Amino acid sequence: MNNSVKIAVFLALSYVAVPLALGSNTYVIGLIVAALTIAGIAVAWALLGNLGGMVSFGHAAFFGVGAYVSALLTLRGGWPVFPAMLMAGVGAAIASVATMPALRLRGPYFALAILAYAEIFRILATELKPVTGGAAGLLSIPRLPNVLGLDFGSKLGGYFVILTIVVAAMAAYHLIRRSAYGLALKAMHDSEDATRVVGVNSIVLKAWMLMVSAFITGMVGAFNAHYINFLEPDYAFAGQWTMLAIVSAIFGGYRTVSGPLAGALVVYLVDQLAFKPILPQGHQIVLGVLLGAMILFNPGGMMSMLTAKFLRKEASHAA
Amino acid sequence: MLLDLDGITVAFGGLIAVGDVTFAMAEGDVLGLVGPNGAGKTTLFNAVSGLVRPTRGQARFLGRDLVAMPIHARARAGIGRTFQVPQPMHELTVRENLMVASRFATGRIDRERIAEILDLLKLGHKADADAATSLALTEQKALEVGKALATNPKLLMLDEVLAGLETAGKRAFMHTLAEVRQRYGLGLLIIEHDIETITRLCPRVVVLNFGRLIAEGSPDHVFNDPEVIRSYTGGEAA
Repeated sequence: MNNSVKIAVFLALSYVAVPLALGSNTYVIGLIVAALTIAGIAVAWALLGNLGGMVSFGHAAFFGVGAYVSALLTLRGGWPVFPAMLMAGVGAAIASVATMPALRLRGPYFALAILAYAEIFRILATELKPVTGGAAGLLSIPRLPNVLGLDFGSKLGGYFVILTIVVAAMAAYHLIRRSAYGLALKAMHDSEDATRVVGVNSIVLKAWMLMVSAFITGMVGAFNAHYINFLEPDYAFAGQWTMLAIVSAIFGGYRTVSGPLAGALVVYLVDQLAFKPILPQGHQIVLGVLLGAMILFNPGGMMSMLTAKFLRKEASHAA
Repeated sequence: MLLDLDGITVAFGGLIAVGDVTFAMAEGDVLGLVGPNGAGKTTLFNAVSGLVRPTRGQARFLGRDLVAMPIHARARAGIGRTFQVPQPMHELTVRENLMVASRFATGRIDRERIAEILDLLKLGHKADADAATSLALTEQKALEVGKALATNPKLLMLDEVLAGLETAGKRAFMHTLAEVRQRYGLGLLIIEHDIETITRLCPRVVVLNFGRLIAEGSPDHVFNDPEVIRSYTGGEAA
């Protein structure tokens, strides 16, 4: 099956089959929306991790900034929701500029520095009471709108919005990865000096990746704010947004475009639908064990494992 | 002048790796840079290509001040270099290695030049192979030269590009380098331990020892210089 057919099948399943089959089950659609929200952050995280070579523990910062920017623009500025969500992405990208001094750091030092930034943004959101409402948060954030008879404020409407954000993020990841910028970014991982001496401005490229990643995460944060209609700092900047995204991206395979999405769907849905009913307390332990096993036995993640199996099967058919 | 170094000094704490080195190259010059291990040759390369910042001294490339210029800007200005230990870009094919160099140093991917370089360096059959895992040592060295050439340099700095090659491979590579120079008319600054190679490739040689320039001139002249002989043998000249 070539790539165009795979993409067509994926889009048909996502935009037609899933809504037709599950559209009336608001509980399951709600779970899928939550999984896609994590998937959106996971794709953005993977883009930075795979292409930028930077492991971020601080994506909650961009999620939170995006959520607050969109909420405030709509609540206080009277902006329509969708343009406000775009501006939320821009706001998160601008916020990422503040984290750019950390780009000079590598490995765990970068990861910890950006974690500190996330905490700073959370404290700012708590302390800037006149703007953000402080710890009490913001209530009655406008819901996603009704456009041409399509109610995006419903569970199913929300599904279409977050699905579109995730698909666009995956397309951006794919296009960047294929470009000369993507090649240079990949090359920088193991031999940054070797790429710099052929003219690659590594700091600028990493900064761009950070901004793109922050933009996507900010959009996802904005979507979430309008989907749940409520925000408070401890929720918007919670470490869980980063952790769940990392777990999903690594479980699914963050070096593939589809891995973070597949990881988020499996990790979140399997956890909620299979493990939680059996183990209401401590069901995440099972996920932890599964993630550990994946890292130990197949560090490339679920998608690389499935691709390898598929290729072996094709080869045995051809033989 | 193509490259003009004036009193370049690189110190790491109290250690002077390169001390007060002055020499110049005109466009199209071929200059050998020799000296015993630890003489400061690679550090001088690093200072010219921007990987280390000189502690003192002036460096100009085609009249432009190099010291304040970032690494990537030096490549764009026309300084290409190889590394002693080949550094292929991981996860990329041979052709993609050259594409990255071409795109970022010149602003566009010059596919015609890339094809020409692959052909010249006899890498055409490996163009779409993984650069990090499927090249023999000679091919890795050729790729180092290819990446530098793809940046469209005016000065190509070769750091022990022939080291580790057997005699036949060395001769073939020297022939290729001569062809490269003839075709692109670029200046070559060559670090090499093999005296025969230096003698055949370079009409002019600079000798470093403990970071200092101790001799400069034709190969015949410098390799008969008593101080140069002492620096290599560690004893008296014959």
